[in-house]
Amino acid sequence: MAALRLGVLFSTSGDYGALGRDCRDGAMTAIEDLRGACSVAIEPFFGDPAASSELYIELARKMLQEHGCRHVIGTVTSQARKDVIPVIEKHDAQLWYVCPYEGFEANPNVIYTGACPNQHLLPLFDHMLPTYGRRVYLTGANYIWGWEMNRLAREIVVEAGGEIVGERCLPIGDADVGRIVAEVAERRPSFILSNMLGPSNHAFLRAMRHLGRRDPAFRPERCPVVSCDLTECELPEIGLGLADGQLAAASYFDSLDTPANRALKAQVAARFGPERRVSSYFATSYVTARLCVEAVARCGTDDPVQVRGALAEMETPSPLGPLSVDPATNHAKLPFLLGEISGADFVVLQSRPAVAADPYLIRRKTAARPPSAQPQLRIVS
Amino acid sequence: MKATLSFLGQRAIILHRPGDTTDRLVRQCVLLGFRAEARWEPVHVAERMDIVLVDADEGWDGLLPWAPAERPVPLVALLASEAPGRIAWALDQGADALIAKPVAASAVYPALVMATRRRAETRELNERILRLEERVRLRPLVHAAVQRFMAAYECSEDEAYGRLRREAMQSRLTLEQAAASILASSRRQAG
Repeated sequence: MAALRLGVLFSTSGDYGALGRDCRDGAMTAIEDLRGACSVAIEPFFGDPAASSELYIELARKMLQEHGCRHVIGTVTSQARKDVIPVIEKHDAQLWYVCPYEGFEANPNVIYTGACPNQHLLPLFDHMLPTYGRRVYLTGANYIWGWEMNRLAREIVVEAGGEIVGERCLPIGDADVGRIVAEVAERRPSFILSNMLGPSNHAFLRAMRHLGRRDPAFRPERCPVVSCDLTECELPEIGLGLADGQLAAASYFDSLDTPANRALKAQVAARFGPERRVSSYFATSYVTARLCVEAVARCGTDDPVQVRGALAEMETPSPLGPLSVDPATNHAKLPFLLGEISGADFVVLQSRPAVAADPYLIRRKTAARPPSAQPQLRIVS
Repeated sequence: MKATLSFLGQRAIILHRPGDTTDRLVRQCVLLGFRAEARWEPVHVAERMDIVLVDADEGWDGLLPWAPAERPVPLVALLASEAPGRIAWALDQGADALIAKPVAASAVYPALVMATRRRAETRELNERILRLEERVRLRPLVHAAVQRFMAAYECSEDEAYGRLRREAMQSRLTLEQAAASILASSRRQAG
């Protein structure tokens, strides 16, 4: 078959550039790996939309219309994914989305290999509420990820008989965290959920370190900051050591000691130097690009319908464990890991085996049922 | 704050000619937990169903077995046309939400949640209207009971009304029911 034209569309500059660079580098590493080692030649097209919605749409359109791509691995934020989906749908192409997200989506033209809430937030709170307490402070980036993650966290906490002691969102890129820290100091939560992104989160974690020095009640061992999107790639930007003890949920950490991960890390060290850590963004993007190419190779065509069909049959060993995509939801089965920051790494405190994604949370035990349509009979005396 | 809905185990009926539209709708409904059935023939009133999606482009009046105001389940109209007659048909059936065709995957969940909530709200409002109508209908009884108290206790209208309210509360009756029972007993005494 002709070379697979693969779009790689991540925002590698701008406020959340570190995440995008890891996603891009992961995909690039996979493409380099597969060069010559696979029956399909790969012709990648890279684009950096610099965190701009307009550029995301424009670059996606270019990849599909001008470069003839039918597969795009990309977008970092949910906002960007939702911006790009109509373009993908219009061309009947396939988007491969690799970042953790807030769920409530299952588009036939998207393969989701990042975790959704039943794979990150729910198991995280299963651990946090009994361990640290039920008075929770919520922070987030002021867009769909922050809003929805906080909404869901509130629902879980209230159902568990706990209390949300405060909630504040900051625009992406805003590092003015003084008011949030002051509120945390005053309201004394059991722990803090941060759904902030990039510079806001970095500033917040540094400020929490200062607060913990003034008042030991706010040290991470007593009142940790937890998140579902903080990875190794941002630790140098925060300042190594400054966020030690804080927690994060992910489906992968660099510190995993498995043969598949040792192999990936050896490649990364050879290509980027021994200091480079592999984040879940990097690893997921790496695995996803490989999965895409292997599925195309199996079909002998890049036709998205056939590729999805082939994907349904595949289970690939990977640094994240055996990876498969559920054909009903188009979401990957993913493990849950809870990591504690230590220098440039996360120490794995807890892990759970891979579970299928439940993007609309229909199987959550306490989810509300709509009012029954059947007539409700009452005994009248 | 309204909790996240789960439709697990509920039954959705999709009334539409089979094809790409029904394929997409069934896929999304199943992801939301529904058992979904697509067909192009009328619904029977005794069928088990929790929500109905109906093609408003080609739908006809016999497709749904109930009078619009009495529909027992949320109704979602599927519409490609902009023709006023088809919009009117959807409205006349009592559609609680709309999904535009061709169906975008992302349009399904919002419409089903909206229709479910709207239907529950409408049902609550209708029940409230019935209760209020009943009270309005019985208002002359309250007036008559107050008049009777004013005469019996030689008090002002406000005092008589206060007395009636206290009696109603003590007997755990509505004001109207208390008034009716007072009038009935004084009628018996008179008779």
